[in-house]
Amino acid sequence: MSLRFRLGVDVGGTFTDAVLISEETGEINIAKVPSTPRDPSIGFLAAVNQILSKANTQAPNISYLVHGTTVATNALIEGKSPKTAFITTEGFRDLLEIGRQIRPSLYDIHFEKLKPLVPRDLCFEVPERLDATGKVLRELDESRMAEIAQKLEKQNIRSVAICFLHSYVNPSHEERAEQILRKHAPNAVLSVSSGICPEFREYFRASTTVVNACVKPVVANYLEGIETQLKKQETKAELLIMQSNGGVLTFEQAADRPVYMVESGPAAGVIAANFIAGNLGFTDVVSFDMGGTTAKAGLILDGRPKITKEYEVGAEARPGAGQSRGSGYPIRTPVIDLVEIGAGGGSIAWVDPGEVLRVGPQSAGADPGPICYRGGGKQPTITDANLVLGRINPRYFLGGEIDLDLDGATEGIRTRCAEPLGLDTIAAANGIVEIANTAMVNALRLTTVRRGYDPRALVMVAFGGAGPLHANRLCAEMQIPKLIVPLSPGTASALGLLTTDVKHEFSRTRIMRGDRADSATINKIFSSMEEGGGKLLRKEGIPAERISFLREIEMRYKGQSSELAVICESGALNTESLARLCAQFHEEYERAYGRGYPAEIVELVNYRVTAVGAIPSPPVRKISHSGLTAGQAKKGERPVYFHESDGFTKTSVYDRYKLEAGHHITGPAVVEEMDSNTLIHPHFQADVDGFGNLLISPVPST
Amino acid sequence: MQSLETPSTKTVPGVVSPILFEVIRNALSEATEEMSACLQRTAYSTNVKTRLDYSAAFVDANGRMVSQAFCQPAHLVTVGRIVPRAVAEYGPENLRPGDVLLVNDPHRQASHLNDIFLISPFYYNGELLGYVSNICHHVDVGGGAPASIGAFREIYQEGIILPVVKLVVEGEIVADILKLVLANVRAKKEVTGDLRAQISANEMGIRRLTQLLDRYGNETVKFYIEKLVEYSERRVLAELAKLPRGSFQGEDQLDDDGITSTPVHLKVRVTLDGKNITFDFAGTDSQRPAPMNCNLTQTFTACVYVLKCLIDQDIPLTEGFYRPIHVLAPEGSAVNATHPTAIVGGWEVSHRICELLFKTLSQALPERVPAGSKGMMCHVGFGGKDPNSGDYYCFLETLAGGYGGRVDSDGPDAVQTHIQNTQNAPVEETELNYPVRIPRYSLVPDSDGPGRSRGGLGLCREYVFVNHQPVVTLLADRAKFPPLGLFGGEPGKLARYSLISDGSHRQIPSKGSLQVSPGETLRVETCGGGGYGNVWERDAELVLRDVREGKVSAERARDCYGVAIDTENWTIEPVESELLRRQLEKEKGKQ
Repeated sequence: MSLRFRLGVDVGGTFTDAVLISEETGEINIAKVPSTPRDPSIGFLAAVNQILSKANTQAPNISYLVHGTTVATNALIEGKSPKTAFITTEGFRDLLEIGRQIRPSLYDIHFEKLKPLVPRDLCFEVPERLDATGKVLRELDESRMAEIAQKLEKQNIRSVAICFLHSYVNPSHEERAEQILRKHAPNAVLSVSSGICPEFREYFRASTTVVNACVKPVVANYLEGIETQLKKQETKAELLIMQSNGGVLTFEQAADRPVYMVESGPAAGVIAANFIAGNLGFTDVVSFDMGGTTAKAGLILDGRPKITKEYEVGAEARPGAGQSRGSGYPIRTPVIDLVEIGAGGGSIAWVDPGEVLRVGPQSAGADPGPICYRGGGKQPTITDANLVLGRINPRYFLGGEIDLDLDGATEGIRTRCAEPLGLDTIAAANGIVEIANTAMVNALRLTTVRRGYDPRALVMVAFGGAGPLHANRLCAEMQIPKLIVPLSPGTASALGLLTTDVKHEFSRTRIMRGDRADSATINKIFSSMEEGGGKLLRKEGIPAERISFLREIEMRYKGQSSELAVICESGALNTESLARLCAQFHEEYERAYGRGYPAEIVELVNYRVTAVGAIPSPPVRKISHSGLTAGQAKKGERPVYFHESDGFTKTSVYDRYKLEAGHHITGPAVVEEMDSNTLIHPHFQADVDGFGNLLISPVPST
Repeated sequence: MQSLETPSTKTVPGVVSPILFEVIRNALSEATEEMSACLQRTAYSTNVKTRLDYSAAFVDANGRMVSQAFCQPAHLVTVGRIVPRAVAEYGPENLRPGDVLLVNDPHRQASHLNDIFLISPFYYNGELLGYVSNICHHVDVGGGAPASIGAFREIYQEGIILPVVKLVVEGEIVADILKLVLANVRAKKEVTGDLRAQISANEMGIRRLTQLLDRYGNETVKFYIEKLVEYSERRVLAELAKLPRGSFQGEDQLDDDGITSTPVHLKVRVTLDGKNITFDFAGTDSQRPAPMNCNLTQTFTACVYVLKCLIDQDIPLTEGFYRPIHVLAPEGSAVNATHPTAIVGGWEVSHRICELLFKTLSQALPERVPAGSKGMMCHVGFGGKDPNSGDYYCFLETLAGGYGGRVDSDGPDAVQTHIQNTQNAPVEETELNYPVRIPRYSLVPDSDGPGRSRGGLGLCREYVFVNHQPVVTLLADRAKFPPLGLFGGEPGKLARYSLISDGSHRQIPSKGSLQVSPGETLRVETCGGGGYGNVWERDAELVLRDVREGKVSAERARDCYGVAIDTENWTIEPVESELLRRQLEKEKGKQ
């Protein structure tokens, strides 16, 4: 029997990464090819072919393929979506135009409001109306509906979104409208709000539905293309897509509800962090991913990544009260909750007109890149500062592929940062790193402390090209007691693609007082969602014993307008279990906001079910053991600047590939590998575990 | 994990480290951001959670603004003005750790009564280092009409006046004070919940500042606060030096004062001398026993806002930012109202001052300002007994309108303007929580002010009340004087407020309360923004797009923009359009 493999392919902005794991041995192969933005499937197939030949195997041996892609987001941002129409209740044609009636920045007179995804001439209204309880106030005008359908057919509109008021409680008018459209406009693909996102607050539901409608034809086309190509190579693999919530779903489902996969790429990193930490028995984790342009922090509790529903596609990353709301298209589907800030290796350091050193948010990106890349970059970046401080080896960047320009970086920092401030170059370089770290600490606070989680009870998993260079310092600041740096931090994200389960999300809104809630109704809501989820999973070939459901209820104090999710037990609920849920809510509320109000009335608002089809994790290969000592893995020494030593310190440099299980390193040290450098500060130590991870912790004080 | 001793903590007294400066600045701003996040998450009311009508700040022991997190530009200066005054009145020696002061009195330079401020002293190592404070618009504070807005004559009619009193003493809420406040307000649940959230927010701010002090100690933090204030001032001065010099005059007016139909005239002279910016409001109408007056805080807010928009937006808003700004407003005028006049329309006046200032400064900075915009808060409030629950309810919202055209782009449609950026309440949520239906929420086509860049469209919102007769209050404007055009651009369409019953429309005043019956529909149509530049210079393709999207009618395109459009094929009739535009240029160019 030939070997079986799992393949993960992550299409990013610059590179397309592929990871291949042997199901028998756990051996990992990695491939990296340039992405092909005009037709991402070209890069996809190139990565697949490269990795297959690297592993000396063929497509038919792949049992399972997971794809992470930004094709949905790109279609929106680049305006590549085909003409889409929007149909809504009479009186609300301008739902998308008006949006939230706010401007995305407070003081910019030249601001623009978000451009609606559907132009006003393709927004239609139909006479029909329900009240807030779902009672019909006005019947659907079917003949008007038919007229619109015919018009759309005539105009050759390929995608249509339908969102009627209060359809989340009674979908009958939307369903009837859908039937009429199918009859009169058979060529259009439909997205119906009560099917995509049956939750209240019309603008957000409509926006979610419209985003789905806009990307649906593009995504369907793309996935179909890939499938055809793979079939030509006689793949029999199950084809899956990474969703924004960290689960996977089939190509078929993804093509139907693409709004669930808009944040497909970043989700994979958090899943990888969860997998890496989970193998070591850690379930409460901060994931820290720092690349060229941004840093992203995520939180995993009890082995589950934190999820948010407040997400805007294409929004600018601008943290702060009242900032950046309204700069992207809101969607209300679950997305792994990441705090993203504009601090990456390429973030530019500059002196502002008030003579203060600043870092970012402008980035030199990949082109021209940092000064030291010799790509024509003139502005000093975080990477340049790290180089000047001795933390990066100019002769071993990307394994020596690029010879870094240390003189250029020094000169850049000297003329653009140090001299204008009257500092010496090293102090300025250290300042750049310190300021960037401050911003990242704020992002980590936002992820943990602000949500009521004590960082001292967490471990950090750091990855991305620049993550392991900064993570030790950040953990020290945040008092996170343990830091895990996996092997190949630069491609760790792609690994996440192969370590997750099939997930489908369902939700309903039905508002009830906690003390008077009708458990029969709730049971009915949950069982109908679970029935739907089970059916879908079985259709996807998941056997019954691997199917499970996770229930959550989003609750609030009566009179509030935002909710907090509480995990709900399975099985039939009764009065006692509802009382327990309310008690749980008070606790969660106190944890999140510092104070609970047990005397207040609690309301149940949204009911959510995640239907999970478990996929057995791939085996993890232990690193080989040849009996070398840590001393033999040492490549040499060089001076590295540490702020806590207030100067350059003689620092050992290790070759990551020669480190073996049981090795122990004392900081200060640098561990070098192809795609990243790990910095171990003075007073810290690192242990190498059986999987090749570096486990960094403070040296116990004696 | 042990804390790393960094060289940045080894400071040399009296020498600024540009790195530590940035680190401490970030931490100070993070503390107020965290307060603001805490307030939003824990608040009860839609007003805070959805509309985001709140802000948070840290003021030093000398009453100087150090750091703030805003959601509403209207709160730009409020905390900085009320805190020193409230503390001086109460006596800083009477404040202990864990105390919280409560104040909302506009005649003590707070804003209107709905905006309640909570102020907590921040001590470290026994030294008073400053105050954390937050402001939150409460949906109701009692007074003559639900939501505490209306056409009143005196402050006493507007709701409960909270002078500077302690709501919390060393961590314990003073039950009697809370009881007294709640007895005077309609929305007891919301006010209780929001006050609690405000208390938590201050606690959060103190926790975060304590961590900062743990790290750097009193002297270092005080030193960098000083430097931060100087930094803002230095940067504002550098910006002022770049602005043209001169003295510029302007006038504007509000429709009426809410009690009589006499317009409220505003007048200003703005002087730029390269180092200062002075706003002199001499010649503005005297205050009246009516709601359309604002206090000095609200006038100052408008001035700071406009300057902030015109210069580098990156400059932090500390005391140093305010220093070069001088506001001269005659005491007892509509822009510096004194006790006991009503002030609930103060934000309407302040909003219009922004319009006045942009218009005035268009003489100095023609490409940086927008044409006339919505320029009003446009409050819609109602309340009464909910026929379903029997409880008293209160609802307030503010509606968007058209933004003015800009030098190279159209004014956005249906958006909040200037000092206001409050989000709308979702219709589904409103209908679920209140006995009201909203049958229409749409743009108002043809409400644009024509110009090379057209003004944005206003919006229309209708309300029908179910099985009861609530008291409905409007506190708005722009029914007489529309947003003006700039540099040849034309005014936007007026706002219109009406009651519809049995198909007949009745105009109602922009300010005042009335009872509405279930059979009636309340319709609010807000104004469109003014145009910028000559209409005949507008790109005809943009006119075609507007007509095609139904934002501008084909008739209006022909009559006002001089563009003839074939609506069968969606093309421009070039020859006819050329003639029409020549004609327009001849007629209007002369004016």
